[in-house]
Parts: sequence; structure tokens; C-alpha cells
Amino acid sequence: MSLPDRIDPRPPRRIYRWDLDKTYLQTEFDSLRDLLRTAFQKAHEKQAVPGASALIRELASNGDSRLCIVSGSPKQLRSVLEEKLKLDGVVWDEFVLKDNVGNLMRGRFRALRGQVGYKLPAILESRANAPVEAEEVLFGDDAEADAFIYSLYADMIAGRVDERVLQQILDAAAVYPDEAKRVLTAWKKTPVADPVRRIFIHLDRLTPPAHFANYGPRVVPVFNYFQAALVLLADGHLTAPQVIKIAVEMVQSAGHNIITLSNSFQDLLRRGLPLQQAAAALVQALEGPNALIQALRPMPDIISAFTKRLAALGTPPPPPPAQAVDYLELIHHALPRTHKGRKTQ
Amino acid sequence: MATKLITIAFDVMGSDHGPAEVVRGAAQLSLESPHIHALLVGDRALIDDALAETKHSGERISVQHASEHIGMDEKPGEALARKPDASVSVAARLVAEGEADALVSAGNTGACVLSCARHFQLLPGVRRAALAAVYPTRDRHGEKADPFSLILDVGATVEATAEDLVTFAVMGAAYARIISRNENPKVALLSNGTEPNKGPRQVVEAHAALSAMAGLKFIGNVEGVDIPKGTADVVVTDGFVGNVCLKMLEGVHDTVVELAQYAYKESLRWRAGLAMLSGGIQRIKDITDWEQYGGAPVLGFDRIFIKAHGRSKARAISNAGKVAAKAVAHELGKAIQQGLAR
Repeated sequence: MSLPDRIDPRPPRRIYRWDLDKTYLQTEFDSLRDLLRTAFQKAHEKQAVPGASALIRELASNGDSRLCIVSGSPKQLRSVLEEKLKLDGVVWDEFVLKDNVGNLMRGRFRALRGQVGYKLPAILESRANAPVEAEEVLFGDDAEADAFIYSLYADMIAGRVDERVLQQILDAAAVYPDEAKRVLTAWKKTPVADPVRRIFIHLDRLTPPAHFANYGPRVVPVFNYFQAALVLLADGHLTAPQVIKIAVEMVQSAGHNIITLSNSFQDLLRRGLPLQQAAAALVQALEGPNALIQALRPMPDIISAFTKRLAALGTPPPPPPAQAVDYLELIHHALPRTHKGRKTQ
Repeated sequence: MATKLITIAFDVMGSDHGPAEVVRGAAQLSLESPHIHALLVGDRALIDDALAETKHSGERISVQHASEHIGMDEKPGEALARKPDASVSVAARLVAEGEADALVSAGNTGACVLSCARHFQLLPGVRRAALAAVYPTRDRHGEKADPFSLILDVGATVEATAEDLVTFAVMGAAYARIISRNENPKVALLSNGTEPNKGPRQVVEAHAALSAMAGLKFIGNVEGVDIPKGTADVVVTDGFVGNVCLKMLEGVHDTVVELAQYAYKESLRWRAGLAMLSGGIQRIKDITDWEQYGGAPVLGFDRIFIKAHGRSKARAISNAGKVAAKAVAHELGKAIQQGLAR
């Protein structure tokens, strides 16, 4: 079991769980060359996904929250990854890395690529130690099985998954018996609650958003962290000025502009996210004194771009309906990309 | 220097293959060309359904809902009057208002040209717009070694004056310079003989004017036989003759394909012969693949419009978007105006 890296005397009201590679960091590991380059990168050479560090900092600045990182990166990278997070001003509470060398030494080759047997027990064990009232927002990506694992985790702790079904899922995902035991033990220790509000999936591979439709509206695929910030504004986790700060960082450091940001906003509206009130709050904040963003672009242009994208749609589509997730049907999402049972996207 | 961001409005509802094919083309463009943004105009629900299933960059695509569209078999004037919210009309308006830099449509050609005429302005010095078309030729052209030549007008202006023909020549040359990277394109008038005095009065007058024009490589008259040879890079004619030529070229192509299919079915020896030639036939198909060209422009307006073929699939739509963006980036309108000022 992993211990917290930071002891906070106050119980957290909100827990933000993040994956690292392709979610927080722009990591390439599709080829051996990519893997080697990633392994030998120094902290300052690693690039965060635009807006990710600003989003984490803004969420943390609200207080009463906990940042828990569970990454598939090997434990040997801990020091360089910690240094990178510190460079970005990110303060974490839990930081769990994968024991890939241990898996290799013990001949547990499935565990090298498998995610379910690693991430699911790790986040369940973390949840077992969290206050029952703490709500959660999870961040992953489309490179591996994050949508599947996070959704399953949310439904397990909410009491919506049957133990028999869970066993079938773990079998189908080829989880080792000791990992399965850890899952069941942590699950049984976790009080029943329904704390997971959102699961953001960073579309690093630009997987079509419909690929995640079966997980229901709780899972929101995002092309960038401005989109996540907009949804978190609507959900009450961020204020409009905080969203503007994130947007400014993306404009200044990653070449985003008024068109990419307003298109991102409209993309969410078209997927049925109820962002009208968030948009109004954003416009109000933009009209207020904000020297930083005024220096970037004349205010009327920004407001006009967002208003036009909203008006362009006519009647906004209804939000997608909530639905029960059939995990056995979606089991191919949980398998490593190289697995023969994994369907192509 | 940072690349200029260019927004292309796509009339999503026009293609013979339905809206999903145009959406897929724009989605492909969003992945391949970071400096191009696609504004998809059409039925929002249909666009969203197609986009949700297609790999794309959500940051580079936006949607403008348009509740109506014009079918291929509708009369352009009547249909546009009856359907004020038709996708092609809305898209042209958005381009005119500066929401996008150029328009791409695979829809009803007449409705497209009419929408442009209603929303765009003719360039100073241009009396009539011209619809251009590209066609495969024997010779290669320009820095890109295009196996295509340009013919204009192919239907926008049925009766062209000598002045119109001269304008078409300048516009066609500017387009070839920018899109085919052909710095000094050979321009010719289509006539019934190569002598300067051959052809109707307006062709003879245009010949005299073009011969005296500086900065244009006018090679005189060409005959119909020169079109597929690629004797000229830009062939100038009026919309009536141009349209007849274009349809004839398409008809010859279709007939050759039908004859080949007939031969394939009819005799084992012919089938064997075709099989032996298949590599060469495929190569010819590759070099004359119109989908790589994407579409043809309507020239003469202050905004860029690329007419994609009605049968365009995603790749052709994506390439039409790239051609439109290239024309915008190289300021085709300004190049035409500079040519006319000479």
C-alpha cells in the first residue's frame, strides 16, 4: 500500500486523481526509441500538456483538496518526475509509480503492459483512506485504459458493480491473483459513496469522442485542458477568473488562440455539456478588469468569438443520458493496445 | 514567422456521398494542417454524429447550423429564393462577413456560383466571374509537375466578350502561378485554328489584346486537340464552349473505361492483355487522379471559392480545403488585380 507523500491535517473536500504520461506530460512511448528517450529525459526537458499545470495549480489554490497521482511510469523515474512537478509548481499528496522492474524480475510480463491490475487497486487503496464525503475528479488519457478503470472504480465504490461481475472483469483483463485480491480487499474497506463527479480523458491520440459514449456523461473526453476547465467551472470547482488564467497560460506557452479556444468551447456544447451559465460567467469575468488578458487580445473579440460559437448552433443539443456501463461489453478497452483481443479504435 | 491561421468554410450538405464524407474530409484536414481551421456549415445534428465517430482535432473545427440545403437537381435561382438558410448560402455569407477566408462546396454548381455572386464582390476590373476546371494532360506543368491544365470558363459566363476572355486569361494565369507553382504559365485561347484571325470576333479581339499584354506568356490559339496534350497550362474560352469541352472530356474518359470493362468481359485474351497492362493503367490513374487536386476555383470574386467535384470523397474534400487555404495564403485576389493592372 502506498503512503501519502504529504500529511495534511485537514480532511480534503475534493480529491483530484491524475495520471502522468499523456495526461499531464506530453510523453511518447509508442516505439522503443520513444521509450528510451523518455527514460533518459531530464526534468527540464519534459513537457507538460498545455494548461495541465495551470489547471492543477488553480484547483489546489481553492484549498481543501488532495492531488493523487497514479502513473504507469517505473519507480526508477520518481526523482526526475518529482523534479518536473516541482518545476511546474505542482504540489502532490500521493504519488504512486509502477514497479516495472519488480514485475520483470518476477516474470509477471502481463503486468508490464496491463493497467487494470495496477491502477485499480492503487486508487481503491487511496480511496479507502479518504473521507467518505470527499468528492473526486479524475484525469486520464486515451492511450490506455483510463476511461475503463476510472469508470469501474467510480461504479465500484458507488455500489453499482456486482462482485461476481467484478471477478469476471478481472479475469477477462488477465489480472494476477494477488492484484485481484488487493482490489477486493481495498474495495471492501471502502465505504459506499458516489463521489466521482467527472472523469476527464485527454485525447492525446485524438480518439473520436464517441468511443467513450458508452461510459455515459460522467466521462468527458477533452482535446485540451481549457475544455476541462470550462466543465469544472460549470461544476463549481473553478471560478471564471481561474479559467481565464488557464486559458492565458495556454495562449502564452502553447500557441493557442481565440479560434482554438472558442472552437473548444463549441465542441463541448455540441456534445451536450450544459455550459451556458459557465459561458455567461466567463463573459462577465472578461468584461471585468483583467490586465493580463487585455494585453493579449481586445476584449470584444474574445467575447464575440464565444458568443458567435454559441449562437451558431441554434438550439443546443440535450445532455447525453446517464446509463449503466456494461464493463464486460467494454472489456477490450481495458486490454493493452498490443493485445489481440483489443478492438481497433 | 508564424503561419497565418486560415479558416475554410465547408458546405457540408452538398456532396453526392452525403454530409459524413465532407465532415471526414474536414476532419482529415484538421489533423494534417494545423494552420487551417474548418467551419462546417450544415445540419448540426448530422455533422455532430459524423464528427463524434471521426478522428479529428476539436480545436480546429467549428460548426454553423444551417437548416436547409440545395439538392443537385434543384434549379439554383428558385432554390436559393425558397431556402434562405441553405448551407451553401449561409457558408458564402460567413465568408463574406469575414468569419471564414474561403468556401469549399461539392454541391450544386449553379447554386454555389449564384451564392458567391450574391454575397461576394467582383474584383475591380472583373466584369464576369469564371468557373475553372482542371483536366489531366499528357504534359506536366509547373514546379509541382502537375499532370493537369486549367480550362476556364466552364459554365459561369455563357457568352463572354473579348474583355472577359482577357480577364479570364489573367485570372487563370494567377491561379496557375499560385496553385501549380508555375511561375510563367503558358496561356492560350481556344479556337478553331491556331492563326490569330481564326475564330469568332471576340476571340480574334482577345487574341490581339493578349498578344500586346505584358507579363503574360500568351502562346496564341490552341485547338481542341491541344487540350488533352497539355499544349497550354491555361486554356481560355467562354462558358458555353468550355462546358461542352469539359463534358466531352468526361464522356471520353467514361467511354474508355466502359470499353475496357467490355473488353475484360468479352474475351479471355483481352482480359489477359488488360491484366498485363494493369500496372501502367494504375500509374495513369495515379497521375491523373483528380482527387489530389481537390477542386476547381470560381475566379473573379474578392473571396476564394473552390468547387469540389460532386463525387468527392474525404481525401478530395481535404485537398480542396488545402487548395483554398493556399489561394488565401498567397492572396490570389491581389495577384489577379496586379495582373489586370498591367
